[in-house]
Amino acid sequence: MVEVDELSGNSISVAVRFLHEKRNVTLLTLYGLAWENQAVAGTVSEILYSVGIGVDNHDQLAPASRALLSSSSRLGNANDSQTTVPEQEGLEEPVASPQKSESASSVPKGIKGETSTQPPSEAEAPIKEWGSRLDDINTNARLPRSVQALYLRPLRRKAQYGLPVCDLQLRSYSVRNLEFFADFAIRAAYYLNLPVSGPVPLPKIVERWTFPRGNFVHKKSQENFERITLRRLIQIKDGSPQAVQAWLAFVRKHAFYGVGMKANIWEHESIEIAKNMDQALPEIEKNLESHLSQFGRREDATSTPDMLPTFLGNERLSLRKGPLTNVRGE
Amino acid sequence: MSQFRAKKLDLGGFINIRVIRDHTKRKVFEQYEPDRQALRYIIRNTSLPQRMRAQAQLELSQMHAYTRSTQIKNRCVAGGTARSVIRDFRIGRYQFRQQALAGELPGVRKASW
Repeated sequence: MVEVDELSGNSISVAVRFLHEKRNVTLLTLYGLAWENQAVAGTVSEILYSVGIGVDNHDQLAPASRALLSSSSRLGNANDSQTTVPEQEGLEEPVASPQKSESASSVPKGIKGETSTQPPSEAEAPIKEWGSRLDDINTNARLPRSVQALYLRPLRRKAQYGLPVCDLQLRSYSVRNLEFFADFAIRAAYYLNLPVSGPVPLPKIVERWTFPRGNFVHKKSQENFERITLRRLIQIKDGSPQAVQAWLAFVRKHAFYGVGMKANIWEHESIEIAKNMDQALPEIEKNLESHLSQFGRREDATSTPDMLPTFLGNERLSLRKGPLTNVRGE
Repeated sequence: MSQFRAKKLDLGGFINIRVIRDHTKRKVFEQYEPDRQALRYIIRNTSLPQRMRAQAQLELSQMHAYTRSTQIKNRCVAGGTARSVIRDFRIGRYQFRQQALAGELPGVRKASW
């Protein structure tokens, strides 16, 4: 269940609460998926609008539910009339906005001839049983593009120069979590316009221990334990440092349980780096002045051989005698 | 030694006197490490007068045993055992076996190959 109230404004949360009360679980999960996936690309309200939910306040709940239902069946019809889903690899631009607006705008056109069960005015439409409604959704409505994308291979940007900028290493003891999170990171990178290569499966780290089974002797009966760390490498190519930082922050924010991350970042400078550093030097020196003046030996200070005896005669060292250092009989 | 020991218990987890003692040794070593290093430096510095170096040697040998790093021994945090403590988990081998079989150590399972 997505936390709707955080994500969106008033209208959507109302719609979802209503759905939840009616226990329309399929719908809920469906839209939940849509939200999660679209967290980067578009706002929630857009998505909801694309699938036909638009509720303004509590008073309009009942008509809104009808509108929702009819729109879901409409969507199916509209989808039938449209062309089939384009091939995943051929899909160049982000999945988010254009198709949504297309489907939303084409909805009223396709309805008339094809759906005989739909009455003209939505407010007086008879509400069907829940079972048949769910069937409608499952059979007629296509998934939103963003949800469809989840069933396909993650989209990728093409690297123009192929210059590695960031290496993200994921580690986990469980393949499932690791694969899932690597997939998530790659999809997130796509929506941030970052070309990615990976996930590269790095060699496993196997640690093994052997111990006696009992807590005392019996060395002959022992037991083996192991811990296998799985690793994946995701490499980002030619991204701006800001985008890479944003990506890393996003991935960290949505860190998955049982998956650890380690990132190496490289920044590339222009060829006039030396000149820039020379220019920046005076200011740095001015800042460091207070610290650097603390170092070194002052010329007017007493020399080391005079200080060392005082150190050696230090009370701290001489008074704290160890045990059994006194000669017996003293 | 009790003069170094904290007046109030400053340690959590499994407690017995040996665990407390080891903990005290760690704290004392940390406190006196710069002194020890300074003395070691004086002893090894051949440019200093021989008398001073000998004095430093004496000072170093007179320091309390608890200020030595060799006094520190890893102990099991779950049972206080000093032998066969696994560094990765900081517990003894029997504790390790029990916890691993109970699934309390992430990623650790019975191996068979």
